[in-house]
This record gives sequence, structure tokens and C-alpha cells, in this order.
Amino acid sequence: MMWSTDKTKGASVRLENVFVDQDGLTILDNVTAWVPKGSHTAIVGPNGAGKTTLLLAILGQTAYRGRIRIECGPNGRPARIGYVPQRFAFDRNLPLTVLEFMVMGRQRLPLWFGRGRKHSTQARELLSAVKIDGLENRRLGALSGGEIQRVLLALALQQDPDLLVLDEPATGLDLQGEHIYCELLDELRRHIGFTQLIVSHDLATVTHHATHVICLNRKVAAEGPPRNVLTHETLTAIFGLHMGLVDSRAMPDGRSSCSAACCTGDEHA
Amino acid sequence: MPDLTTFYNLIPTILPFECLEARFMQKALVGLVLLAPMAAAMGVQVVNFRMAFFSDAVSHSAFAGVAIGLILAVDPHWSMLLFGVLVGLGIMAMQRRSTLSADAVIGVFFSAVIAFGLAVVSRDRSMARNLQGFLYGDILTIGDMEILLLGFLFIALMLFQVLGYNRMLYIGLNAVLAETHQVQVAFYQYAFAGLLSLVVIFAVWAVGVFLVTAMLIVPAAAARNLARSASAMFWWALLIAVTSAMAGLIISAQDWAGTASGATIILVAFAWFTVSAGVAYFQRRS
Repeated sequence: MMWSTDKTKGASVRLENVFVDQDGLTILDNVTAWVPKGSHTAIVGPNGAGKTTLLLAILGQTAYRGRIRIECGPNGRPARIGYVPQRFAFDRNLPLTVLEFMVMGRQRLPLWFGRGRKHSTQARELLSAVKIDGLENRRLGALSGGEIQRVLLALALQQDPDLLVLDEPATGLDLQGEHIYCELLDELRRHIGFTQLIVSHDLATVTHHATHVICLNRKVAAEGPPRNVLTHETLTAIFGLHMGLVDSRAMPDGRSSCSAACCTGDEHA
Repeated sequence: MPDLTTFYNLIPTILPFECLEARFMQKALVGLVLLAPMAAAMGVQVVNFRMAFFSDAVSHSAFAGVAIGLILAVDPHWSMLLFGVLVGLGIMAMQRRSTLSADAVIGVFFSAVIAFGLAVVSRDRSMARNLQGFLYGDILTIGDMEILLLGFLFIALMLFQVLGYNRMLYIGLNAVLAETHQVQVAFYQYAFAGLLSLVVIFAVWAVGVFLVTAMLIVPAAAARNLARSASAMFWWALLIAVTSAMAGLIISAQDWAGTASGATIILVAFAWFTVSAGVAYFQRRS
């Protein structure tokens, strides 16, 4: 991964001719795309399209050919990245409280010497920001799937990220839970100012919340604002016939039921 | 070499047991009080992240390590240590690079080191006699040099635990997440593998290859039953390991017992585990 100091073009991430080959298969084939700075960029595509692989390449967790440039943070420091994985499989019986889980990433002194007041306070504030106050002393394994997703989001936000990368974070949530999670993310992004890069299967949510979309099926099929990209032709080409039926009334201009700032502000202009 | 006599002479004052008046028992106690907390601290991570098979493979590499020492006319204690660390680092390197599951990688190493040890011993059957100590362990023959080495390892390992405990917890939960969030995963994994291998080989000296994994696992498993937080689990594991080691050594030296010290230590730890399992059962029901 190369670190660029180029801040003039408004890109948080630039992908140039990226290839990933695994076991003789080409998973990503000459992917060129960008993630606008401050945007909510969604990567959509069918199963096996290479969405997660693309995220892992951006995170430096898989080998690739080509060039991936991530814009540096202020004063030229390396960009800080927060990550919410698709699956967080862990031993549910592990004796680890939510607060310990949050503090372990920031505190140098081991948890068995106790938790520092400063780190504990910061962790509580983040848990409050993702609207799960009061869970800090519960065991991590005792939380529901939705609560764990929020704890993971708080952990990612603890990095004070320039770029927040989420891999299908709403997997396992019901429709309402997913809706609330997306609204929360939009609110946090506007408040904190990070760039959000998300992999999602849910076209209605993407249509509703994203400001930039990358349609991927090993290659980039289309890229741009949702209203230009999520067309009948593009969706039919990458998903098949029935997927060309995304309701354009779900667009922010259609003012559906979402109460998030994205639907009331000028973000999609 | 520093004179540890004054240090040994303090032991009967603190623990007034007749059996602890013998110098070899005093040395064994010091060795165990250094080794038990190290095994417990590493055992917490071994239990939480299901690495018992890793420690099994490293402990069985001691078999081949002894054989190599005997062939090369090197003190087998040193060849065991060196070979054990090489096997531990080798397993970690292959785990990080291979697409095979961790169990499969460890299984391959496990089989290879056993086969190598057997092949060497089968060439010269007189060597088999020298392997008795490796099978059953013998903490009662520990010398000043080994105690000093354990002391240095204790300092290095506790420093690693102080600086790396939280990072190891992060890595154990999700290595990709940890690396993305600026944890130096490779460094901590190799350091952990190297230190765990050293602790395992020292534990082979103490309790023998059959019981070495128990020395790591049983205190940590009992601690897990009793703890509700990561912090509590660590301290419970240390308490259980040290008390088991001391009680096991003293009981084994009693006339009415007359048992092997390594086996007795593990039995005391198992008694702790039984009590902890009962406590956990009633906590779940209440």
C-alpha cells in the first residue's frame, strides 16, 4: 500500500489497475476506482464478486498487483483506518467485558493491572455514541449480534479513523436493526468527518444511504453516484434479471422514512 | 555464578515443612515458583485461543531435542531448548503462510518431531535409558544454573506479558482487525511462540512430557471457570498455578504419599479445577 500526500483531488482511496489472483483464479481483474474523501462509498456486487477481497487489499491483508493509494491524514501522518469485519467469530464464553474489549486496543498496561481512567472514560463515550450505554460491564459473549456490531463500530471509531471500512456490518441484523445501524453511521460520519467504505448486499440501503457506489463483479461494472450507477441495465448486468428492479423512490430525494441527516441535508447534492 | 545459598536458607523459615530442609527440595521449590506463574500466564492465552495442540507439539519436540543432544554429545538440556524454540517458531511461520488449518500445520510438525526422535533412538537403543527423565520430568535435580536461566526467562516473559498482554488478546480475537488497528501482529505472534516454547521445554524438565500441557492448561481452565473478566482470569490462573506447584511438591515428599512431584502438582491443580467447575455450575444455575 502506498501512502500519498496528494490532497488536491478529493480522493480518500485510489485503486489503479488492481489485480488479485488466488489459486490460479483471478478474483479482481484490473480494478480502477476511487473513494471520494468524506463520502459514504458502497461496494456492491453478487457473491464471489471480490468485494471482501478488495477491502482486504485496501487494508493490506492480501497480496495484489497494481496500485492502491490511501490519502494521508493531517500533517502527512499515515491514514488511520477503522475496520469492522464481516464475521467476528469468537469464543462466547471468553471472560472479557465490553469495557475491557474496548480498552485493550488503547491501553499499554495489561488489563490485569486494571483499566486506566482516561481510557475507560473514552471507551464509555464511544459506547454512548453508538447508543449502547450501560453495557460496559457485561461479558462480550453475552451481547446480541446487533449489540456486538455496535461494539465493533465503537472499537473502529476508537482509532479516530480517517477511513472507516465496514464489511457487510449489518449481516445478521433484522430490517429495523439494519436501518438504525445505517442511520447511526450516517450521523457519525457527518459529525466526525471520516470517509466510509462499506461492502453491502442490500441495494435498498445502498440506494438510500450511499453517496458513491462501486459496482463490482471481479471488474468494475460501473461507478459514481447511486442514481447514475444503480440503473436497471447495470444491475441486470451484474446480478441478473430480477435485480434490475431497485425502487428509485428509495432515493434520498424521494424522502422515504429515513430520519438520518443524509435525508435532510445537502449531502447528495 | 551468583551464590543463591542465602536465598535457599530463607525457605524453611517462611515455609516450616520438614521436607523443605533438604537443599534439593529448596531448589525445586524455587524452580517451581518461577515456572508455575510463567506457565499460568501463557496458559491463559493457550486456553482462550485453543493452542493446546501447539504446546503439545513443542513438548514432544523435546524428545527429538534430547536425541540430537545425545548424538552430538551436547548437554541434552540445551539441545531440547534450542530445538523446541526452533519447532515453535517453525510452526508459527508455517501457520502464517500456509492455507492449511492451524491444526493441520501443528499435526505435521508434531508427527515429524516424534518420528525424528524415534528414528534416532532406534539406531542406538542405549539412548532410550537417557530419555526417562524427559518422559517423567525431574524437578528435584534442578541446579543453580537452571534456576538462574528460569529467573532470566521469568523477567523476559513477564515483561512481554506487561507490554503485550492486551495486544495478544486483540490478536487472539481477530488478527486482521488487530493489524488494521495498528497492532504489530507478526512481532507479537513470533515472540509469543518463542517464549511459549521456552516455557514448555522448561516445564518438560519439571513435570515431564506427559504432563506439560496440563501445567499450562489446568490452572488457566480452572481460572476461566472462576473469572468474569480477563483481568480476574489472569490473577486466578497465577494463584492456582503457584499454590498447586507448592502444595504438590510438599505433598509428594510426605512419607504417606511418596508420589512423583510432577504428577502430584497436576493432581492438586485438577482439584482446583474440580472446585472451580462446581462453582461455575452453581453460578450458571443461580
